[in-house]
Amino acid sequence: MPQVLVPTVCPYCAAGCGFFIAVEKERALGIEYMPEHPASEGSLCSKGNAALEILYHPDRLRTPLKRHGDGWARITWEEALDLTARGLGGPLKKYGPNSIGFFASSKCTNEENYLIEKLARVLGSKNVDGCARLCHAPSVVGLNRTLGAAGMTNPIKDLANSKCIFVIGSNLAENHPILSRWIHRAKDSGAVVIVADPRMTHTAWMADVFLQLKPGTDVALLNGLIHVIIKEGLIDREYVAKWTRGYEELAESVRDYTPEKVAEITGILAGDIVRAARSYAISPASVILYSMGITQHTTGTDNVQAIANLALICGHLGREGTGVMPLRGQNNVQGACDMGALADFYPGYRKADDPETIEYFRAAWGVDSVPLGRGLTATEMIDKAGTGEIKAIYIVGEDPANSDPCSQNVRAALDNLEFLVVQDIFMTATAQLADVVLPAAAWAEKEGTYTSTERRVQWSAKAIEPPGSARCDLDIICEIAKRLGAQFNYPDAASVLAEINRVVPQYGGITRPRLDDFGLIWPCPNLNHPGTPILHTQGFKFSEGRATIVPVSYKPAAEDSSWDYPFILTTGRVAVHHNAGSMTRRSPSLLEREPNLFVEINPFDALRLKVADGDEVTVTTPRGETVAYARITERLKKGVAFMPFHFPGTNILTSEVRDPEAMIPEFKVSACKITRRD
Amino acid sequence: MPVYVDISRCIGCRSCEVACKRVHGGSGHVNVHFAGDNASVPVFCHHCEEASCTMACFTQALHKVGERTAFDVEKCTGCGLCRLACPFGVVWTDKIAHKCDLCEGRETPACVLTCPANALSLDFELASRRARARAALVAAHGGRR
Amino acid sequence: MIKVDEKKCLGCFSCSNVCPSQNITRTETPELRSVHWKRCKEECDLCVEFCPAKALTLVPYDESCPEPTLSFDLVACKICGSRYATEPMLKRIESSLPANLQKDSTGLDWIWVCPVCRRNIEAERATKQMVLGRSRKSP
Repeated sequence: MPQVLVPTVCPYCAAGCGFFIAVEKERALGIEYMPEHPASEGSLCSKGNAALEILYHPDRLRTPLKRHGDGWARITWEEALDLTARGLGGPLKKYGPNSIGFFASSKCTNEENYLIEKLARVLGSKNVDGCARLCHAPSVVGLNRTLGAAGMTNPIKDLANSKCIFVIGSNLAENHPILSRWIHRAKDSGAVVIVADPRMTHTAWMADVFLQLKPGTDVALLNGLIHVIIKEGLIDREYVAKWTRGYEELAESVRDYTPEKVAEITGILAGDIVRAARSYAISPASVILYSMGITQHTTGTDNVQAIANLALICGHLGREGTGVMPLRGQNNVQGACDMGALADFYPGYRKADDPETIEYFRAAWGVDSVPLGRGLTATEMIDKAGTGEIKAIYIVGEDPANSDPCSQNVRAALDNLEFLVVQDIFMTATAQLADVVLPAAAWAEKEGTYTSTERRVQWSAKAIEPPGSARCDLDIICEIAKRLGAQFNYPDAASVLAEINRVVPQYGGITRPRLDDFGLIWPCPNLNHPGTPILHTQGFKFSEGRATIVPVSYKPAAEDSSWDYPFILTTGRVAVHHNAGSMTRRSPSLLEREPNLFVEINPFDALRLKVADGDEVTVTTPRGETVAYARITERLKKGVAFMPFHFPGTNILTSEVRDPEAMIPEFKVSACKITRRD
Repeated sequence: MPVYVDISRCIGCRSCEVACKRVHGGSGHVNVHFAGDNASVPVFCHHCEEASCTMACFTQALHKVGERTAFDVEKCTGCGLCRLACPFGVVWTDKIAHKCDLCEGRETPACVLTCPANALSLDFELASRRARARAALVAAHGGRR
Repeated sequence: MIKVDEKKCLGCFSCSNVCPSQNITRTETPELRSVHWKRCKEECDLCVEFCPAKALTLVPYDESCPEPTLSFDLVACKICGSRYATEPMLKRIESSLPANLQKDSTGLDWIWVCPVCRRNIEAERATKQMVLGRSRKSP
């Protein structure tokens, strides 16, 4: 029996690990490792090892469904597509193009995201956004403003060249496990590791200096580090003078952030703040890694800017072993953003409110008009669905009913829509609310490119056929587009990629034939360009090549503990689950290792609450309540609780209050109370 | 040649557990243990030089082949003596015995290849070599900066 | 038909596993393990061959002979108290290992400890240094 090894890219996190799917008689039988892979060297975390388990899961959607009373009726593709076209087309005609919204998917390929973006725009709708809104929207805003480019500045393996690695608000040991490989390699060469997190995470095990800060006090800590570095004369004067503007204002703005004051705000020892600041500034090459612990705050954009400020004053950018590294969550969230699946951008980060952008895409797409101006973000679309201003939404591969904060409001809002179509591989909580559900192909059942967190664009080949009559997202989008009168004639992913090569300058040279050996890192403007692993080597994309230092001041999180809600609840991930869990909770070898929702509580608090390890407790916030098993642990300081967000209960609790610019909700800080269930 | 663990590198991601179970058709031979909130370690067969499981096995299904403690499933009766003879509790039995076979038929065991943190290796001295190199660098810098 | 020497039987699972006709059955409760031999007419002697204790012999079929059942109390782990093995099996392990292997470096009689606790002890031993180092770092 001939066995074929099909190269693919892991569908879970954004590290972009490659592996082979062993296919025999059109069935995916096993995984073989890919030791030559530049980011992972063949390693895979537990999720990657379990990736095939969802492919043949009995819950896979196999036929299109329409709502029929309280249940579902199987329908033909023809009927499903017609219904969808009518459901979207009706409000489009009656209320105008901005009455419909589109959710692109960070799990789908670049080609599919590009088509969703294009479909929304050519139909005249400004409202197209994705789950990047819930993870790295502040990075897009903050890094574009300060450094002129959003994305990791250096590739993953370059971490090994660093002499000081500062991880803040990221539990990469559990969420991007392969990164720890390179961090350990750096440690072997004498690197110092600093970890700042409210929890003593597995990542903190690697730390030489561990800064256990109070949730939501990141700006204070970062400004404190900057204060120490400036006061001790450790800034890179030459770099600041040549490549930045705004240093004087920054120096003025951090004057009051003395280690003692910052210690008071953050709960970290002043001595540790000084140690961390010195290590970061003195080292010949320092890098900052961050993720949701920085972005999912009302001050998300400020946090990101403070990080950029820190890197800029020390000149730790544009060289090997340095950089600012936002670790993306989903396998293609970087690509979805690149393709314009953001309300404020067209493909290639062209600003939606710039008339030149409109002119460019009108010409490129050969259409009469595309809409000018920023549209509604994913979170705003849900609001407007609730108030009735948005009439119909097309959701591809996302589960806002689980992943958005205050999820009961989200469900009510989606219920209020005239028409909701959801395209997914499983019947998610969001799909349960839909009028039409379209069964899609999983990653191994289709082909296309994915862009990993290090901006590496990789081709993932099709290994097997989708189950039942499920179809790949690209086909479905094209069929719906045709029925809505758009000219979408794309026979395959490669033909869409060819258009992306023409339209998105960063992807200009990333053509199908060049992608066979582990892809290319954008920007790659032309066919002869080798790709750009390290950004900002020759300054920044602003006038005189200078980056912008934007001083920020510390603002407390929207919620703080109170008499009624004495704990601060923060959320995060565990090693064996991924995001809203629609895949990992259906993967037996992952679910058996973490089957239930839990809440971590400090032993001191547990004693006061009379809660023992394993007890069922009720966690309550002003939004609602949820039941979880208590886990008593010294990982957390007194007064802080932690819950993973892979289970439906968690986001009932989280708050809708948002960062004013990036519109990201503050998942990381909610005041809550905990009581034992008797 | 057994698999060695560099405990300073283990990040508790349980990848080895899932990988082992995957390549052995559902029978896993690795257990990741957590020492409170501070460390984790995968526990699996050491392929002991004086392997008590081979001494307890009356059919020679478990036997030494060089450094390896090999297992011949054809000879196993599933009596369960090996499970009780293993000082580390890493052999288990149902109808037959289950233990680490160092992924026979593969060039390198799956757990070694898959470990994201590079904590597992076939090199006995790797962990101590790394620790010595780190210590030397720290000394050269006059202690931790 | 099979005759059992109850003084020799360990209460292991060998015979019931190898019997091609499922004529040897076993039941297990948390405290007790029982093995039951049905009268069989087979000419096969796999169970005899694969008995680690040589407790079984093949005898001529006899309708009037009662079907033997042996029951064994399971031994409790010295650490956690969970019951994990029959006493004859553990005694057998003791007799098959040299004395120097029967105690670990701390002097523990590990044979009388259940496999789960053995793993925990091993994990604790392996991570001891690491835990000490890391807890010093984060007071």
